[in-house]
Amino acid sequence: MLSNPVISTRKDRSRFVLLTLATLTMISPFHIAAQSENSTPTPLLPNDKPDLTGTWYNDEMGWINPIIDEDGSIVCIVGCELLVAARARARGEEPPAAAPSSYNDGAPNRPLYKAQYQERVKELDERQVEFDPALRCGNPGLPRIGPPDSISQRTDQVIFMYEDLGGAFFRIIYTDGRDHWDNPETTFLGDSIGYWDGDTLVVEAVNFNDETWLIDDGAFHTRGLKVTERLSRVGDTILYQATAEDPEVLAEPWEMTPRTLVLDANPQMEPLPCVELDMDHIVDGTHHDNAR
Amino acid sequence: MSINPKSHRSVFSMIKLILAAIALVVTAQATGHHSVTGQFDVSQLLELEGTVQRVRWVNPHIYIQLEVTEENGEATLWSLGTVPVAMARRAGLNADRLMSNGEPVSVTVFPARDGTANLGWMNSIEFSDGTSVSIVPDRR
Repeated sequence: MLSNPVISTRKDRSRFVLLTLATLTMISPFHIAAQSENSTPTPLLPNDKPDLTGTWYNDEMGWINPIIDEDGSIVCIVGCELLVAARARARGEEPPAAAPSSYNDGAPNRPLYKAQYQERVKELDERQVEFDPALRCGNPGLPRIGPPDSISQRTDQVIFMYEDLGGAFFRIIYTDGRDHWDNPETTFLGDSIGYWDGDTLVVEAVNFNDETWLIDDGAFHTRGLKVTERLSRVGDTILYQATAEDPEVLAEPWEMTPRTLVLDANPQMEPLPCVELDMDHIVDGTHHDNAR
Repeated sequence: MSINPKSHRSVFSMIKLILAAIALVVTAQATGHHSVTGQFDVSQLLELEGTVQRVRWVNPHIYIQLEVTEENGEATLWSLGTVPVAMARRAGLNADRLMSNGEPVSVTVFPARDGTANLGWMNSIEFSDGTSVSIVPDRR
C-alpha cells in the first residue's frame, strides 16, 4: 500500500488510490500479484500505517480434522487419518495421502545451542514433565506463546492479546518512540517497543526473566534473550515472524516458523482458565515432541 | 459394579488402533504437553455407565465428573480428563453436549497409572440418543 507525503486527509488518500490504480497495474506486476492474492483493502490508521486491529485465526489446530457422521456423532477428533484409511480400504479405495500431524507438518525447527549447552537442553527435554514451566499453567513466554489471537491498535501503542493453554495474557507494545524500560522488572513476555519498517510492524522485546522456554524441548534461555517480531498485514491476512537471539547460549539467532494469520469474523471467545489437574498423576516422563 | 472390561479380542483390536494414534492425541497444543501414556494405562480400556455431574470446560484438559452407580447401589464419582478445549471446539463439541441433560451415558476410559481410584482418560462417550463422541477412533 503506497503512502504519499502530500496526502494529508483520508479523502485525498482515497482519491489518490483510485486515480493511480491503473498506473499501479501497469508498472508493478508484483503489486498485481499481491492484490490478486488478497484483494481486500488493507485498513489504515490515521498515520497511514496498516491497522492490525482484529481477532486473528492462526490455524494452530488446522491439522486436526475431526470426522462427524450424519447423525452428529463425532467419530474422531484426533488420529483420524487411521480411520480415514480404514474406511477407504473398506470401500476398496487407496487411502489418501497422510495428513499433517501438526500445524507445520512435524517439520522440526529447533534452536541451535552452543556445544556446551546441548547436554543441558537434552536433559531438560527428557525431563520435561519435571521442568517445563509451561506445564503447570505457566506463562509460556515469547516466542513460544505464538502470534496474538487479538490485536487492538492505536497510533501510539498496540495491544497483543492471547488465549493460551496457560490462560489469558496480553502485551502492550509502545510505538510512540520510547525506549525500553530503565531498570525494569524482568517479565515472562518481556518489555516491548515497536516501530514501522515500511508497512511492517517490528516489535522488539527484551528484559525477559529466564523462567520460560523458547519451545517445548528443553529450549531454555537466559535473561539476555531478545525477541524480534515482524507483522505484515495485507488485506485480511497477517504474516507473523519471530526471531529469538540469546548470544550467551544460542549458536545463532533462531527463527520461528512463520505463521499466516487470517482475520476472524467470529467474536473472540472468553479465554479459558488453566486448571492443572494432571501433573500430580504423571508416572513417567513420557511426552510428545511439539515441532515449531 | 458398572465397570465392564470389554472382551479381550475387541479390546485388543481397539487398543492397537488407539495406541497407534495415541501419540497424535498428545501433540495437540502449541505449548508443551505431557503424554496421555505417562498418566493413563492405555493397555486397559474400561467401560463405565453413569451420568455426567459436572463438566470443567478448562485447559489444558477438559474434565468431566461421572457418577457411576455401583451394583450395591452406592454412587462413585469418576474424574475423567480428555482433550483440550480448542480440540473439542474444532469438533463442534461443547460442555452442554457432554452434560447431556443428565441423561445416562456410556464412556470408555483409560485408568490412571498411579493407582488413583476413579481417575481416568475419557476416550469415548455415548449418549442416550445414540450419538457418540470418540476422541481417538475405533475402526468402525
